[in-house]
Amino acid sequence: MANVTVKLFGVLRMDTHLAKETLNIEKVGDLFDSINRTIDKRYQENLAENPALEKPEKLAFKHVVLFVNGERCTKKGRKLADGDEIWVLSPASGG
Amino acid sequence: MTSLKGYMGRVLMIDLSKRTFGEFPWTDKDRKRTLGGKIMAADILLHHITPEMQAFDEDNWLVITTGPLTGTGCPNTSRFNISTISPLTNILTSSNCGGDFGLTLKRAGYDAAIITGKSETPVHVHITTDNVEFLDASELWGTKTGEAQEKLKHYPGRLVIGPAGENKVLYACVFSNDRTAGRGGVGAVFGSKNLKAVTAFGTKLPEIFDEQALRELNVKWIKTLQNHPLTGRQLPKLGTAGLVSQMQAHSILATKNFSAGRYDGFEKVSGEELAEHHLVSNAACTTCVIRCARMCKVGEKIVKGPELETLGLLGPNILNDNIEAILRWNYELDELGMDTISCAGSVAFAMELAEKGVHDFGVHFGQIDNLSQMFEDIAYRRGEGNLLADGSRRMSQQFGGKEYAIHAKGMELAAYEPRHAVGHGLGYATANRGGCHLNAGYLVVLEGLGLDVDSLTHHGKAALAIMLQNLMEAVSGCGSCLFTSYAVFPGFLVDKPNWFVTKAILAVFPYVGPIVNLLSHFTKVAQIPLPLLPHIKAVHLATGMRTTVASMLTWGAYGYNAERISNIILGQKADADTLPKRLTDELQDPNNPRTKVPLDKMRKVYYRGRGWKHGIPTYHRLKTLGIVLDKKYYDEAVARAMRKD
Repeated sequence: MANVTVKLFGVLRMDTHLAKETLNIEKVGDLFDSINRTIDKRYQENLAENPALEKPEKLAFKHVVLFVNGERCTKKGRKLADGDEIWVLSPASGG
Repeated sequence: MTSLKGYMGRVLMIDLSKRTFGEFPWTDKDRKRTLGGKIMAADILLHHITPEMQAFDEDNWLVITTGPLTGTGCPNTSRFNISTISPLTNILTSSNCGGDFGLTLKRAGYDAAIITGKSETPVHVHITTDNVEFLDASELWGTKTGEAQEKLKHYPGRLVIGPAGENKVLYACVFSNDRTAGRGGVGAVFGSKNLKAVTAFGTKLPEIFDEQALRELNVKWIKTLQNHPLTGRQLPKLGTAGLVSQMQAHSILATKNFSAGRYDGFEKVSGEELAEHHLVSNAACTTCVIRCARMCKVGEKIVKGPELETLGLLGPNILNDNIEAILRWNYELDELGMDTISCAGSVAFAMELAEKGVHDFGVHFGQIDNLSQMFEDIAYRRGEGNLLADGSRRMSQQFGGKEYAIHAKGMELAAYEPRHAVGHGLGYATANRGGCHLNAGYLVVLEGLGLDVDSLTHHGKAALAIMLQNLMEAVSGCGSCLFTSYAVFPGFLVDKPNWFVTKAILAVFPYVGPIVNLLSHFTKVAQIPLPLLPHIKAVHLATGMRTTVASMLTWGAYGYNAERISNIILGQKADADTLPKRLTDELQDPNNPRTKVPLDKMRKVYYRGRGWKHGIPTYHRLKTLGIVLDKKYYDEAVARAMRKD
């Protein structure tokens, strides 16, 4: 198990109201269960204040773009080490 | 007049010197050949310009055009375009804007307005259906863009310039509401003609060829845009500012005058920071369903917030992580009437020249206290600001540093660092108006931001650049916002980047470009109904013209070639599609030999795909597209372009 920091960006962060989380996980693929639990907990807490709050969709490997320590990661099975930083993004565009 | 629907059938010609107006001849044959918008403008200018003509000459025309979809009720179609000879680049520029002016010009009964001559005194031109008034603008002269618009608030459609335009800063822009015709110095051309403002009013509407069917299409089109992950979620929630963190991840966030693609302080100047702590509300251009504009608080005022370009170029590119300063500067630059991209690019270049000990302009990386003052100095051409007001190319001609003066054809690059998106680099180099990310074809949307096509390979990029440049040219020609073209990518490709189907499709994506480009040569074969590009059907339903994917690409190619040969006539040299050496010769990542733009390789394929030699369209290619020029005139222009000075 490794202590890692997970940062969410873009629409994912806006939808989940979660910017950063510290997790203790072994592989990249493990982050989804942990992070979805946190998101759900955060949603339940916020729901009391804002009953109209839309429930965020669960994060899944298929839907996100991942970077580990600044490198693009496309493998769920990638092992993590203490201090790793994971960026979770959704595709974007603009001009 | 016109037998086609969707158009108003009239083009207005205004002479500021004589204070007269009349109609410019424009036939249905011209409309069918050029569609509208910037393509129409390129065609008009091609047949007007001469090799000697300069941006500030009285007979340099300002050509303001709308598209056939403007005013038809289609979503995101309030756009209009201003084309002219750019004082920044000395070639054509086309500047697209989302304010109200296009709609009101069309309501006044005109598809376009051409402005020539020079007024002896400051003038405000007011266009109505049967008249053009030349109003005294002495009291408006000297005002900033906000005050000028406030004074003209009773006019529904407005174009104004600020002090930068009056003082002919080479990247001064034109405002319509809080939207901007930003690039290439169209505001300076206004200023050179003593033209402070143009307003329009009317109550006409274009007739529609099949109103019921267009209404039904619009309902579906709006749904498509609202359901698409880019136009329905990301842009409304974060605006273009949302790209900062994406660009950081993909190493394309221009940092320290494009010497790097990542910046440690990026989170402080990101779209997320803007949305969470500074956003007051979204805003939209008229008819827009995307609503990407951000309204923010600056002091006691609620003003338009910065786009990605401004955040990037006044943030990481000058080593600044103070977002509140950027919000304030964005407002100040808007008030002064200056393009934030070229202004910020010139500032970053000045900072690097100072750091290298070449010349101290008084601005330095990471020091932001005196930048507001510098912006004022640029707009009023005072002191060192007068040097920055001419842009980075002219600064490099005076002080040196050409290899890190970050421009293409004299226009400063947008905030995307292309060494980690090499196709985007090709786009910057080949874009007709210079270092513009949109005129470039915006390949970066494929190279990591929206889709995950290999961003470091040169394979397939030339054909994709041609395809996207032509497509965006045509979408713009319709009078549509370019952002509507992002919906051409099926939602699942964006929504499921790690799905095996997405990966398989993106693996073959580089080979799509050549096939689609081929279709533009076989218009009768390419009757493809493309639901994700509703512009095609919309143009048919609005105008009655027969339209296909191929006709859209052909219109795009027409516009791109008309602009290019105009540039050659105006003095652009052969093989002028270049980038600064920093981007083509220096590795962004010293450990990765692929992290520079392999421009020569891509450009060769690009020229072949375009039917160009040394960046010049062949006479045969022009003829195939229907661009008719006197052969001797063409040969002389080519000879000048090929001559080594």
